[in-house]
Amino acid sequence: MTAPVLPGEPLRHADEVRSGPGTYVRGKSVVAAVMGHARTTPAADDADDKRPLVEVIKGPVVTGDATGRGGGTLLPEVGDEVFARVLRINPRQVWCEIVAVNGKAVNDASGFQGIVRQQDVRATEIDKVDMYESFLPADVIRAKVLSLGDQRSYYLTTARNELGVVQAKSPFTGEPMVPVSWQEMMCPSTQVKVSRKVAKVD
Amino acid sequence: MEYVSLEGLRLDGRRPKETRRMRCELTALPGSDGSAVFELGNTKVLAAVHGPHECRRPSERLEDRLLVKCEVSMAAFSTGERRRRTKGDRRTNELSTFVRRCIETCVSAELLARSQLDVSIQVLQADGGVRAAAVNAAVLAIVDAGIPMQDTMACCSAGYLDDTPLLDLNYMEEGGGGPEVHVAYMPQMDRVVAIVTENKASVDVFERAHELALDGCRVASKLMRERMIEHAKHLWAMRQVTLRVKDDETGDEAKPISMET
Repeated sequence: MTAPVLPGEPLRHADEVRSGPGTYVRGKSVVAAVMGHARTTPAADDADDKRPLVEVIKGPVVTGDATGRGGGTLLPEVGDEVFARVLRINPRQVWCEIVAVNGKAVNDASGFQGIVRQQDVRATEIDKVDMYESFLPADVIRAKVLSLGDQRSYYLTTARNELGVVQAKSPFTGEPMVPVSWQEMMCPSTQVKVSRKVAKVD
Repeated sequence: MEYVSLEGLRLDGRRPKETRRMRCELTALPGSDGSAVFELGNTKVLAAVHGPHECRRPSERLEDRLLVKCEVSMAAFSTGERRRRTKGDRRTNELSTFVRRCIETCVSAELLARSQLDVSIQVLQADGGVRAAAVNAAVLAIVDAGIPMQDTMACCSAGYLDDTPLLDLNYMEEGGGGPEVHVAYMPQMDRVVAIVTENKASVDVFERAHELALDGCRVASKLMRERMIEHAKHLWAMRQVTLRVKDDETGDEAKPISMET
């Protein structure tokens, strides 16, 4: 049923089959566009187009499970839960680097840039948020994608109980701190409390 | 200097219409999205592909097609005498432009709009035919990365010395000052992508060298396709194993990340 194919290889006549992922139509042929194995699947019974679908499957990565949205590059979408590392801070917003989307690591070396704006840090008293009391560079935060943002970065929000800082290092010893309330984390050896917008993790 | 002896043999013992031994290897560099090594006799070129990813500079972004960036560097130890080579000298710039334009023709650039593809080429050993080896390595790396393309591509050179058309010139023959033709060719579409000629050639000489180079492309392409099919089979076998392992897992794959407090 499957045979190895290479880019440019004609698979079937374009009248007989539909062109699926990994193929394209050149003249009257459906042609492979990537290296992999060609697979023909019959059309669904209720489909308008009764021709079988030809696709080329790339190996060995089993795509389609990264975000549950079909294969390809892992891109954050609105509503996705992401983990991000804080890079830079100013009184209005923090810049961070998205390292995982829906629990899957982003493989792009540079990651994606995200921004948490002051009004998106928490749900209540949003005007009184002090960014420096909420995040610091090197914190790892859990956030939701609010919008695709501007050209450079995604807008993220931490305005929910389960969102916020999940890992922060102690400014004194560098060891991971322990959350004590939704606004504070504590250094385990010096017992000093530091303020953060802490995520509630079960 | 005598490039073709009375017996009809060249300096390295080949017949005029013989290529050197070709060898290729896919996924040579695990850190990249796709990579390949192409060897042509003593010439050895490594290509690595990163991407497609978001454009590093938003100002360079193309709204309707893929942005291809190509960088060629020669290793200090790549030629007979050791020499520290600066990046972006005239020769490597010209080579990277050639490779880039060949790639742009053969990938389906309109499918990957607003993204960027980086192709880095490292020349490990240069013994003539670097241009051909660089294109072949780049094509293999792109296929390995799974970038959609219209067709595969192969490149080969031919020259004309001692009134004889010679296929796949080596370093000594490239220094002979005769005309030299490089052809990049898509085998399935039967389409010539690029031709570069160095030194002056009459129409007659050019046509003979061009025909010979095309034959060389077909030889290179046959070998590359065999190797790629072999690699595809290997990947397929790996995929079957992965799928089987996934089936065995009892659905507790997506464990929530917990933090101990």
